[in-house]
Amino acid sequence: MIQINELTKVYKLTKKQMMEQKTKKNMMKAVDKLSLTSKPGEIYGLLGPNGAGKTTALRCIATLLKPTQGEITVKGYDTVRDSENVRKKIGFLTNEIKLDPQFSPKYMFGFFGRLHGLDEKTIDERREELFSYFGIKDFEDKKIDELSSGMKQKASIAVSLVHNPEVVIFDEPTNGLDIVTARNVTDYLKLLKNEGRTVIISTHIMTEAEKLCDRIGIIINGVLVMEGTLAEILEKTNSKDLEDAFFELYKTHSKEEE
Amino acid sequence: MDGVKNIVKKELTRVFTDKKLIISLFILPGVLIMVMYSIMGGLISNLQKDIETHIPTVYIQNAPDDLDNIIDSVSYIGDITYISSNDSTDSIKDGILKGEIDLLVIFDEDFTDKIYSYKEVGDPIPEVRTFYNPSEDYSNAAKGNFIASVLNTYQQSLLAERLGNIEQLQVFHIDRNPEAGIIIDESKATGKFLAMLLPFLINIMLFQGAMGLGMDTITGEKERGTLSSMLLSPIKRSQIVFGKLISLGILTSLSAVIYTVSVVIGIQRLSGEAMDMNIKFSPIQIIQLFVLLIILVYLYVSMVSLMAVYARTQKEAGTYITPLYILVMLGSIMTMFSSGGEKELQFYAIPIYNGAIAMQDLLVGELTMAKFGITVGSLALVAFLLTTLITKAFNSERVMFNA
Repeated sequence: MIQINELTKVYKLTKKQMMEQKTKKNMMKAVDKLSLTSKPGEIYGLLGPNGAGKTTALRCIATLLKPTQGEITVKGYDTVRDSENVRKKIGFLTNEIKLDPQFSPKYMFGFFGRLHGLDEKTIDERREELFSYFGIKDFEDKKIDELSSGMKQKASIAVSLVHNPEVVIFDEPTNGLDIVTARNVTDYLKLLKNEGRTVIISTHIMTEAEKLCDRIGIIINGVLVMEGTLAEILEKTNSKDLEDAFFELYKTHSKEEE
Repeated sequence: MDGVKNIVKKELTRVFTDKKLIISLFILPGVLIMVMYSIMGGLISNLQKDIETHIPTVYIQNAPDDLDNIIDSVSYIGDITYISSNDSTDSIKDGILKGEIDLLVIFDEDFTDKIYSYKEVGDPIPEVRTFYNPSEDYSNAAKGNFIASVLNTYQQSLLAERLGNIEQLQVFHIDRNPEAGIIIDESKATGKFLAMLLPFLINIMLFQGAMGLGMDTITGEKERGTLSSMLLSPIKRSQIVFGKLISLGILTSLSAVIYTVSVVIGIQRLSGEAMDMNIKFSPIQIIQLFVLLIILVYLYVSMVSLMAVYARTQKEAGTYITPLYILVMLGSIMTMFSSGGEKELQFYAIPIYNGAIAMQDLLVGELTMAKFGITVGSLALVAFLLTTLITKAFNSERVMFNA
């Protein structure tokens, strides 16, 4: 269970960043009073355009960033006060976090397994399970440097799940994957959900959100503008598919911003 | 502590499974240092040999009649041309300037007459003038040799002739056998030589090792996005910091050992012969040296790491670290030009400088426990402070994620 309560994250901008973003404000609100709950046994999807604040929100859950205001709990642990316990419970995947290119997927899997306090036997079992599921075995001893981006992504996913986490946070998990592997990943997420785990993902791919997520939160300019099941969102926005619904909301809320 | 152990193991594996890294960090610098010093040594000894075997071109004006006998008796080797007082010396001086001629010796015209007509104080004393070019090695050596072997002998023989008994002039001898008068503690003498050189070398080598490695293992990992994956594991940030610092320390020590050994081998070749390493350490001194080195390694590693963690790119890290490098150089270069005499205790509280002077004292056997204690204490305090700052940086999302 993840509970986000009135999360606000403000970045201080350096002079250089202010120039780059052509703004005179030295603060940027990446997430604005976001509240949501992601429950065990469901996949929650954060949907939004680039720069909407999805990654920031997920990083706050993963304890990498501290909320400016508001609070987040994961399985009852506060992400600021109990960050170590939170990190024990979560598996986090994001684009900017990478595996050391000098090592093989096998070594990295073992390394992070040990950092999570697993014994060698458990690590071997988990590796067997995940590497065969994602088809990593063929290149498990190759340097990550030599792998294709799809292979790298698969390895990252497997490594993030080494400790069999109860809460899975995936930031755009199918990014850069071919259609077969992407399906592989989404199927695995469904499997995790059916095992009763809490899964939260971010995506900007409408079809993925439609097919995969039990509940969807649409986030625009850091604000959660709508939340619900697919059916609820379509009904509220009076649209026939998620893409239309999204653009409907986007028009309204980006105008408000201006 | 499992986290620390795990990270140290991973960092070491990373370096030792990468052939390129091993070559660029350990082998290449070591070989280069050795080759550099060997070549320098070879060139210097060649130069000396060349000067020794060179036959000087010497012009002598107004040479006295008996000079020839002297030159023969001392078997002076030179290409000598005698000229008379009518000959112009301008072209010879020009030749000396151009390095074509090595030496011009001019005797006063009535040199012999003046010598034999000398009776009492106030009578004229004749002069021998030598012209040479100090910036030419051959010319410089030719002048020295000619004066030492020919003119001095000539002067002695004339004196003997005038006085009959030259011992009247000698009055007393000073050190007939100078070697027999040397009372020296060999170990301290070697120590003194090493004390001048080693603290500087060790400091520089340690810092250099830490610099290259620290930039890669901290800023590099930050750049590559691999550091954040470690930040996601359920261990304390301080454990990650310790893991990084300890592995860096191990690698730095290793590279420092390799560099220092290469330098010593290189210098031995430079001096043309094996140095007499007559230095003996007591067990306490060995422990002191060990503690000093460990703490210096840790200090340098943490200095580099602090800069590396704040830098966004390796290039930026290089810019931050260079001033520190200069600081370390400055602190340790001072030992090369100080006598190593007794220093007041407060000097041992100045970080970096104290490491160098403590090592210098240790090598000449003058490091007291008080000096050692103050040095180690002050270095440890700085190292602790730096570690705290690094941990703070690891906890800062602004530093880690540019957020």
